[in-house]
Amino acid sequence: MAKTFGSFSAFSKPPKKQKFGIEPIKSEFGGSEPDSIYTINRESSWSRWRRGFEIATASLAHNTIDYPFTYKIPLPAGASPASGNQPAIPGVFRGFPTKNKELSCHWAGVRVAGSLRFDNVLDASNVRASIASITEDKEFWYIQLAGTWSSSNTLPAPLFIPIAGTDGIKPTNGEVIEDRIITPEGVPINRDSINPNTQKRYGFVQAVVADVNQNTGVIKLRKRGSVEATPDRILVTPATRPPNVGRYFMTGTRYYCSCQDYTRRDYAYISSLGQTKGKKFPLTRVASLKPGRYEVLKIGDKVSNQAMTSAVVNRKMQIISPSADFNVPPSVAPTTQTIPGSTRDNPGVYSDFGSVYIRSGSDPSLPGAKSDGIPSYEDYTAKDNVITSLTDFWEPVLDEFRYCKHIYSMKFEEGLFPAEPSDFPVGVGSMVDWEQKLVAKTEKDQKEAVEKLLATGLSYMDIPPFNCQSPMMVTMMQKLFNIPSNFVLLQNFTMYDKTGKAYTPSQGGTPAL
Amino acid sequence: MTDPKFGDIVDTNFIYSEEQRNARKFGESEVLISGQPATYHAGDVVHLPYQAGETSTIEAIGLAWGAFASGINPAE
Repeated sequence: MAKTFGSFSAFSKPPKKQKFGIEPIKSEFGGSEPDSIYTINRESSWSRWRRGFEIATASLAHNTIDYPFTYKIPLPAGASPASGNQPAIPGVFRGFPTKNKELSCHWAGVRVAGSLRFDNVLDASNVRASIASITEDKEFWYIQLAGTWSSSNTLPAPLFIPIAGTDGIKPTNGEVIEDRIITPEGVPINRDSINPNTQKRYGFVQAVVADVNQNTGVIKLRKRGSVEATPDRILVTPATRPPNVGRYFMTGTRYYCSCQDYTRRDYAYISSLGQTKGKKFPLTRVASLKPGRYEVLKIGDKVSNQAMTSAVVNRKMQIISPSADFNVPPSVAPTTQTIPGSTRDNPGVYSDFGSVYIRSGSDPSLPGAKSDGIPSYEDYTAKDNVITSLTDFWEPVLDEFRYCKHIYSMKFEEGLFPAEPSDFPVGVGSMVDWEQKLVAKTEKDQKEAVEKLLATGLSYMDIPPFNCQSPMMVTMMQKLFNIPSNFVLLQNFTMYDKTGKAYTPSQGGTPAL
Repeated sequence: MTDPKFGDIVDTNFIYSEEQRNARKFGESEVLISGQPATYHAGDVVHLPYQAGETSTIEAIGLAWGAFASGINPAE
């Protein structure tokens, strides 16, 4: 094992080479098998899972940086004002002290479970969309929702939004849903809730929405990665039974993180404050370049990249997303002028396209499944060198989507104890030594990050909700709330201080402590 | 919680003891506290029932996406 511990990649440094020995190629996709293993070790989901547990314990030991909030969803212009209880999203921002972040904190977001309820999904006759019946195959459950659905009476938004000339969009694909509502407008059950008729615990099932059929009212749930709360109060994955007929779905906890690991964006230091060797400009190795969209934030016509604004100033996000196909234009003018839409590459912003890690074949715990093999990356499908579909949408429950260590830490705190990823690092001498050093490094990093935050960071860190439209945060907010980014308005945040007192920053409110 | 109200947490792993609540306070200032501090945490479950005639969260998110598809901005 390497003696030094300067970087995370040092966990799996090869033994010192003899003079004139063969040096492995150090590029990311260099073709050297040993080096590929080093990369897999550093990039493994298992490392994030293990470090997440250390961060979870560190959060319990320290006073966590939590910013609870309620976000009042703005209605579209022209819509009638909402009466009674206002449509709102409750959640919490969690700051993770981080050594290599310019402003000392990575911010993650949580939309708490129960925010969206299917007892409020109605068909044209105001029939509530309970679970009417279920069929299944090896990979999916097919949930027939109650109500009358057809091509002229489709599932309502946000399950399906028709857009003229297109197939429409389905923003709820990728949401975690749970069958925890027994009666309309009732209180969601938990793991301890007991059915008075049977004197046994109700139990429930959690799964990810893979797709919806707007014309038939069928929701397709993915079995792989599903979680079941059993009558014994135990959480098992994958679930051994489908959701319960007659109940109503609600959304589970939704996470998103602004760290560069989760968003797959390169990071750079813009200021020289508090750092000595950070990059001044984001760099992407050519081998890592992938196509992708990028965003520009503006106030009026001017680009605005500052971390925070006043709570009454809103920015607009412009998404630069060239055409969906990857083909360059059939002809390029001799002027060599860049043609907008001719490429989706954006050097210096994206380092990868999503890194969806999935097991090969079906889930090993299901009958007839194959054993684990080499991970396959299925960001897209292609035929005859033409990309036919992009499938890098968010799947929050699953280890298919590679969580960052911050989200893993919050899942540990949630009590889900996320399943151990199967890509345990390989190719090093002693696994025990490797894990102990990983834990020691994480602990040391946490300690130093907190010290740095307390020493210098508090004076210039960015805090919610003032940073919610910064370039790092605005995409997180859009994914976290699952609404269009222009519906994320700073004045609609109500925050809660450590005493539980509510205050509204846009009205000059401040925390009591 | 036997009779939760709108917005109350109905399932959480964060039940603070009196000692933990005191530890969460900073400084020596006199602060009057009632109820459970720090409203929401990661992993909480919230009670958000909406009655007929009210605009539910899922409906409001649907309206926002519908407006996005039609090029309509939020009401300021």
